Amino acid sequence: MQPDSAVLLAVLAIPFVGAALVPLVHRVLGERTAYYAATIAALCSGLLISQYERWGTVTVEWIPALDVSLVLYLDGLAFLIGLLASGIGVLVFIYSGGYMHGEPGQAKYYTTLLVFMGSMLGVALVVDLLSLFVFWELTSVASFLLIGHYQRADRSLYASRKAMFITVSGGLFMLIGFLLLGHISSFVLDGSTFTLIGTEQSLIGIPGEVTHAEAIRHELVERGLFVPVIGLIAIGAATKSAQIPFHIWLPDAMEAPTPVSAFLHSATMVKAGVYLIGRFRPLFVPEHVFAAEVWTWLFVGLGLATMTIAAMLAVSATDIKELLAYSTASHLGLIVAGFGFAETVGAETGAFHILNHAAFKATLFLVAGIIAHEAGTRSIDALGGLRHDMPIVAAITAVASLSMAGIPPFNGFYSKELLFDAAWETAHHFGGLTWLLPVVAVFGSIFTFLYSIRFLWLFFGDRPTELGEIHRPPLAMLLPAGVLAIIVLVLSLGAAPIAHDFVNPIVKSSLIATPEGYHFSVHLPHALKPPVLMSVVTIAGGIAMYPFYDRLHHGIRRLRSIALLSPNQYYDRGITGIAHVSDVVPRYVQTDLMRTYAAVVMSAVSVFALGGYLLGGTGTDLTEAVSGVNLALPITIILAVAVVGALAVDRAPSHIAGVLTLSILGFTVAVFYVLASAPDLALTQLVIETLVLVLFLLVLDRLPAFYGELRRGRAILDGLIASGVGLTVTITVLVTTAADPSDGIAHFFVEKAPVPAEHGTLITDAGGGNNIVNVILVDFRALDTMGEISVVAMAALAILTLIGMRNRGERA
Amino acid sequence: MSSNNQTTVIVRTVVRSVVPIIVLVAIGLLLQGHNFPGGGFIGGVLTVTAFALVYITYGAEYLSQNLLGISDGSVARRETQDVLDPDEAFFSGTVGRYSAVFGLGLALAAGGGLGAIAFGEPFLSQAVLYFDHIPVFGVIELASALIFDLGVYFVVVGSLLTILAVVGNE
Amino acid sequence: MTEVVLAIVLGALYALGTFLVLRRDVVRVVWGVTIISQATNVYLVTMGGIHGSIPIVSHGGGGHHAVTDPLVQALVLTAIVIGFGTTALALVLTYRLYQEHGTLDLQELATTEESQ
Repeated sequence: MQPDSAVLLAVLAIPFVGAALVPLVHRVLGERTAYYAATIAALCSGLLISQYERWGTVTVEWIPALDVSLVLYLDGLAFLIGLLASGIGVLVFIYSGGYMHGEPGQAKYYTTLLVFMGSMLGVALVVDLLSLFVFWELTSVASFLLIGHYQRADRSLYASRKAMFITVSGGLFMLIGFLLLGHISSFVLDGSTFTLIGTEQSLIGIPGEVTHAEAIRHELVERGLFVPVIGLIAIGAATKSAQIPFHIWLPDAMEAPTPVSAFLHSATMVKAGVYLIGRFRPLFVPEHVFAAEVWTWLFVGLGLATMTIAAMLAVSATDIKELLAYSTASHLGLIVAGFGFAETVGAETGAFHILNHAAFKATLFLVAGIIAHEAGTRSIDALGGLRHDMPIVAAITAVASLSMAGIPPFNGFYSKELLFDAAWETAHHFGGLTWLLPVVAVFGSIFTFLYSIRFLWLFFGDRPTELGEIHRPPLAMLLPAGVLAIIVLVLSLGAAPIAHDFVNPIVKSSLIATPEGYHFSVHLPHALKPPVLMSVVTIAGGIAMYPFYDRLHHGIRRLRSIALLSPNQYYDRGITGIAHVSDVVPRYVQTDLMRTYAAVVMSAVSVFALGGYLLGGTGTDLTEAVSGVNLALPITIILAVAVVGALAVDRAPSHIAGVLTLSILGFTVAVFYVLASAPDLALTQLVIETLVLVLFLLVLDRLPAFYGELRRGRAILDGLIASGVGLTVTITVLVTTAADPSDGIAHFFVEKAPVPAEHGTLITDAGGGNNIVNVILVDFRALDTMGEISVVAMAALAILTLIGMRNRGERA
Repeated sequence: MSSNNQTTVIVRTVVRSVVPIIVLVAIGLLLQGHNFPGGGFIGGVLTVTAFALVYITYGAEYLSQNLLGISDGSVARRETQDVLDPDEAFFSGTVGRYSAVFGLGLALAAGGGLGAIAFGEPFLSQAVLYFDHIPVFGVIELASALIFDLGVYFVVVGSLLTILAVVGNE
Repeated sequence: MTEVVLAIVLGALYALGTFLVLRRDVVRVVWGVTIISQATNVYLVTMGGIHGSIPIVSHGGGGHHAVTDPLVQALVLTAIVIGFGTTALALVLTYRLYQEHGTLDLQELATTEESQ
């Protein structure tokens, strides 16, 4: 059953319309705008849920003439991401109502969050790669605005710039990848397409019906673009999903208000990268293989490295939000690695963990917000024993962090098991060095266990004496966190049925074809298989190492302080370098001298044009084409006079002499038009030339007789540049006049302009005039003429303003 | 230019008789543009030269006061500057009239185009009414494009006159 | 058909115009731009063919064997009028420049900008 196009479009449009109305609503509702925004998010998620299991494609014609249409595609994965964006959106908006109490800039805050939500829904639903890119970058822009919410704080400005710089430039790499794919598609399909999936004319095809993936892959390999395209898309995904070494923006992004961190930087926006990987997986991962070339090693390597390193960094964190940020990067690494594995279980890992991670991490962020809000500090060392003050929050945290640690029977355990399974199977199949994969996976998971328990320990242990009085959190903040914790519990206890019914279509979205009789299922282990053993090792290792947490914490901090190992150092130095370059370059390029600009532009044009002719080999057939002088004598003479006139302008000793000789040029051009059979031009040129002369004389009357002495060296240099330009023009004219294009357009006008031989009283399809030039001006191209007379009017207005209103600015 | 012009009697006499002819030719060119050389652009610039000739030989005051009958703020701008707001004087005078002309022209051109929409045609479509075998005239051709051409004419005349007047008044 | 003479003439006009654009005197720069735009107009007309008859045909569409390209002429016609507008604007800018800074020397303008 196809999704309802009106409903899907409404889901996309409502957040943006809602965002536009926020300033008005804020004036009426004030701080309660949060609940207005929550209503909008609830509306979106309700509409989305109404389309559940109506998987399919909706094509909305946009610019039919250019074959551009908006292609919306709903399947399990799109539904999940859309539901996360709108569903968690509801909770985050409610939570914001409490958290943002008394904060400045609330109208801006809710507007941006709603725009973000709409863009994220766009990323989820749109499969036309160009529209996808637009929504993708919109989420980056929204994230930039939200991270920089506290505009006065330097740190938040630094953080927002960093996030913008990394994610947007990553997006540009991705765009190049998309363009390459669109280019390649034209060799495989009839005509190029940017639609990824869901239509006959798409890169992947319609799952289960048409598939082009194989042919596209083949074409990419043929043209040597396979590795570049995957690499470019990977850069886009890695920057967005904070993979090593692009993870550095995520911890800084914690400068944003905590609801933003929970929403954008854990549950949704950073999921865009892994979503992209999952979306593209069917295109690049064939059926029945253990490892897809390039794809598997790139993403498994990237994912496992990120998972492990970011987990270690999380252990070294001193701030609760920093800990959660690194942990987010680590879990995104787990998802990336999952999608990287070519077997079905890889897709299962990625799909299931997107859901699990969104649930427990959003919960923990909301908890972090509550702690910061009520205890007034985010420092891990300064916190402890919070269970006495906030028992409910402690329970919520226990559920979420045990899930994050991957302890059975919580839901985090299942997706971690799937990863272990995938790593083990791949290593088992290939042997040798690939045995490192399960080892690294376990190693990284131990650190995950460690920091999860450390976060939970904020609520246990002794309460530091310097910790002041702690209030109970307001209901608006407690409720969303509680709802999320209940969701985690439901996911944990109902893992088997949920996986069977809800996650199954999500997994299928990342598979090119589903094996016969396949159905995704998870269950608690009842036999000691290798993945189970790996989990046992993880938990046992974690418990054994927990007493040494502080030592690990300080050790990793020492490692981090080595400049050579810190991507932040490279980033900062790079930015300083760029700033330095942009400081130095203008000194040579932007000299404030018209001369420099003109010389650079004109020489560059000449060099490129001449170079192009040389490379294109135009010169060789040019000598043949030059067959001798074929111009009538009168025209030749007139043109010679024109050149003499122009030469006289160059050598004019005074302004008056220059203007008069310039007129010689103008009038000879008019005569040229007469001889070139262009009577209208000749008339106009003649009259305009007279007016120009009058105008020049009027102005020169008021200017001094300055003409600047001509230095020899400069004259020679300028002469060289001018000669170069002249040579380029000469060759260009020779080349272009030698060509003989069909005169289709001219012919059309000559046919259509006059009154036709047979006609009625009213003529509308022909121009109805004999002067073709004028008919073109007033009829066929009247809109152009309209524009041109507006330009003339604009020039008059500009002059009016320059002279007539010159005193206005100073008086005001 | 200054008002104490030193043009000779010959020039003054010639200009006096030539200017009407120029204006006549300009209007002729405008009207015949559809079938012969001419049109709004050419007619417009030619009309402006007629004004320019008067301006050069007789001066700006003569042009605006005696010929166009505008009691002017802009020509006497220098004198009234202390009393009047110079900007207001500037725009209420000749220059203001000139700029109204190109506004009118733009409105004509666009309005003529909008007329086509009323008949269900695209913006700026033109039509021709063609009557054969009319006594005396023979053939009469009425082109809606003439309205657009008139618009072009007024824009060109208005803009160029504005430019000349502004620069000349300095 | 290759237009050798026009090629040379246009090359010369562009070279002379470019030379003027590189001068220090603003008025000369305006001249240079004027010359270049004249040359461009001539080039466009040349591309439309200069050996045909005038693009005015009789009723019934007869006798249009070898007219010059009317489209470029329409294009150039407006370009000439707009050219006047831009030249006028450039001149008025020059005049205002002189009023504000008391000089027409681009070099001097650049140095005073820097020292400010």
